[in-house]
Amino acid sequence: MGRLVLRRLLATIPVLLLVTAGVFALIHLTPGDPVDVMMAESVDDSVKATLRRQLGLDQPIYVQYGAWMAKLLRGDLGRSIRNGEPVIENVGRRMRPSLQLAALAMAISLMVATPLGILSAARRNTSVDRFGTTFALFGICMPNFLLALLLIFCFGVKLRWLPISGYTDPLEEGLQGLRSLVLPALTLGLALAAVVTRTLRSSMLDALSEDYVRTARAKGLSESRVIRGHVLKNALIPVVTVLGLQLGTLIGGAVITEYVFALPGVGRLVVDAVFARDYPLVQGVVLLIAIGFILSNLAVDLLYGWIDPRIRYR
Amino acid sequence: MRAATPHGNVHRRDFLYLCALASGTLAPGMSVRPVFAQGAPRKGGTLRVGFYLEASTMDPHFSGSKVDRQIYHNIYEPLLTLDVKLGIKPGLAESWQQPEPKILVLKLRQGVKFQDGTDFNAEAVRFNFNRMKTEPKSVRKGEVASIESVDAVDAYTVRINLRRPDAALLATLTDRAGMMVSPKVAQERGAELERNAKGAGTGPFEFVEWVKDDHLLIKRNDGYWGKQGGPYLDRVRYRPIPDDTVKLQSLQAGEIDVIDYVQPRDVAAVRADKNIVMLDVPSLAAFAYQLNQTRPPFNVKALRQAVAYAIDLDQIIKGVWLNVGTPANGPVPPTSWAYDRTIPYIKRDLAKAKAKLAEGGKPSGFAFTITTANIPINVQEAEVIQAQLAEAGMTAKIKLVDAATQLSDGNSKNFDMISYQWSGRPDPDGNIYQFFKTTPGTSLNWSGISNPQIDALLDKTREVSNQAERKKLYSDLTKILQDELPMVYIVHPIEPKAFSPKVQGYEPIPDGMMRFKDVWLKA
Repeated sequence: MGRLVLRRLLATIPVLLLVTAGVFALIHLTPGDPVDVMMAESVDDSVKATLRRQLGLDQPIYVQYGAWMAKLLRGDLGRSIRNGEPVIENVGRRMRPSLQLAALAMAISLMVATPLGILSAARRNTSVDRFGTTFALFGICMPNFLLALLLIFCFGVKLRWLPISGYTDPLEEGLQGLRSLVLPALTLGLALAAVVTRTLRSSMLDALSEDYVRTARAKGLSESRVIRGHVLKNALIPVVTVLGLQLGTLIGGAVITEYVFALPGVGRLVVDAVFARDYPLVQGVVLLIAIGFILSNLAVDLLYGWIDPRIRYR
Repeated sequence: MRAATPHGNVHRRDFLYLCALASGTLAPGMSVRPVFAQGAPRKGGTLRVGFYLEASTMDPHFSGSKVDRQIYHNIYEPLLTLDVKLGIKPGLAESWQQPEPKILVLKLRQGVKFQDGTDFNAEAVRFNFNRMKTEPKSVRKGEVASIESVDAVDAYTVRINLRRPDAALLATLTDRAGMMVSPKVAQERGAELERNAKGAGTGPFEFVEWVKDDHLLIKRNDGYWGKQGGPYLDRVRYRPIPDDTVKLQSLQAGEIDVIDYVQPRDVAAVRADKNIVMLDVPSLAAFAYQLNQTRPPFNVKALRQAVAYAIDLDQIIKGVWLNVGTPANGPVPPTSWAYDRTIPYIKRDLAKAKAKLAEGGKPSGFAFTITTANIPINVQEAEVIQAQLAEAGMTAKIKLVDAATQLSDGNSKNFDMISYQWSGRPDPDGNIYQFFKTTPGTSLNWSGISNPQIDALLDKTREVSNQAERKKLYSDLTKILQDELPMVYIVHPIEPKAFSPKVQGYEPIPDGMMRFKDVWLKA
């Protein structure tokens, strides 16, 4: 297991190199630069030229990439061009709301999807199944921003049960903080629940038609024990795959949700950084998001082995 | 919000009346009544303000963002300020004199301290102007370019020596170029000032904290020099809420008390909401399209004119802007003293447009690209223009870009027709000079116009100090610009602001800045 983790971590190095080089090239090839944005009202060419020189933006792109990599190898992600703060501090501050939102959305999705997926599969073609399928269809089709606005209208404007926008840290303000995350987490969680419900239902149906399930039933096991002991665990692999991928996306920032609810998360940070052409910040955030994706995929791979002991890695 | 005169209550329509007066749309000579709040002001409370954007820097000399200005006008103070009719009135400078066209003498207010406890005096003013002129990141260099040097005559008298006469300078000093930063803070804190403005200003409020993308908090400056009126509020909490719908819903739900701008599409709904008070604040803004004269097709004047005659401003103002703005006859907005209402905006005339196409050598029309920012109202406007141009035989392709690309395309003149939304400046010079003056290299003159007659008139507007004379020069310029058409002007937007009814005492100044010194919250 240890060797597997080490090998997988080593394999991430070329992936990260490719990701950072690709993003570096893309963001530098996009028209506009940070000096244009910062000095939009300045008409003085020499001022802009000086600033470009100070920031190293007058150098060829490969030299700039080399300089960035050299800093990275020393553990320095650089400073934001826009606000001068270290990139790591910028990202660190934004990671907390994003992680909390991801965790809460994941919890909501599992609380909704697990019973609904199981019941839909176990009672196939009944009204429960139809409800589950309709919910899944609705959740998948409904755009995030629309669901967000509907939730805001119902629970924020009309009923006034929950705050509409902004963020309060649940680790500092407890319940108040949790309340600020409920609507965005519901927005993300319900969409994710729809995907998980569908995945769980279909993999459960596959498992239910397996011979070992027939054997279990023939042994006289109750249906609930058949499902808990034999079907569910075998149906989990696709669900874990979906959850792993979604977790990576959530950690990388649920951009639209963060925008609508004015949450200071990673997604909003990276989009604003792209608009401001804040190169070091974009690079730093993308690098950390890529690491997040790789780690969540690694966790999924490790979980496979735990869920299904037949899966062994060499 | 409810406002009152000393004689009794004044309702929303009175505010609109006031705004109309401020905008100059009512007969000149009518007096502007001061805005008073209902009842006696009370101290205390936190005003929660929703902005669509995050601030970019807390250093007024490095700022190029309108949202920043909204905050600065509460933390810092300019040397001079504006009244509701855009007249210049004393700020940190008590009085001013111009003994010669190239000398401006400012008498500074005594007894003013920066929030860090240091004195505001002539040395501080000198330091600030030097900083604006020499700091590499200073965005104010262009605005103070006419200043040769600044002398501290005595502790509270400053002489500004100009390179050339600059009639726009007084108005320039009412905004960021006139804002004074504590020299001690600027020197000791350096770049950190961009994120932390504690103690840096002299204004009615002090910077407390800025949590990026979450909130920016300021608190009452209890040592404020002004003894009349506020500050009354304990704190002002600014929050960036990027989605306009959510921002408005936050106001409706009582999570915030003020929003800086109501989108035209929401104006009718907000007006109908009895729990919100909306003010139509006329702005100094001019929204237009620059036409690139440095390359075909718009290096041909007749083709630029064909575009202008093909566009129906009435339809755009009614259909896109939902009448939350007025058709523009040029760069000077109706709020300005220099606005000439006798000059009509260019009316649609398809026959003339087609004749101009023929004159320009393209009788069957031509194709070009409209570059505009990818925001809903810009996209709608570009699509309407595209359809209107098609009726005249011109084929416009719309290219949607983000702000950075727009700036890059504009600066490098990589466009045919590009949108330009200018928030406006109190003096008409700020809306005109840098857009049309022949300038080598980068400038806001993206169209590339270089016209000796325009250049001469522009220089003269700075040399002449008599307002009536300057107004005539701006009228002449507007007429020439309507013929030369380096820019096709579309709209002078109104900037509606919305408030919770408990917000009292807000004075709408057409520069759109929200100054909260005299604002208070009803219990």
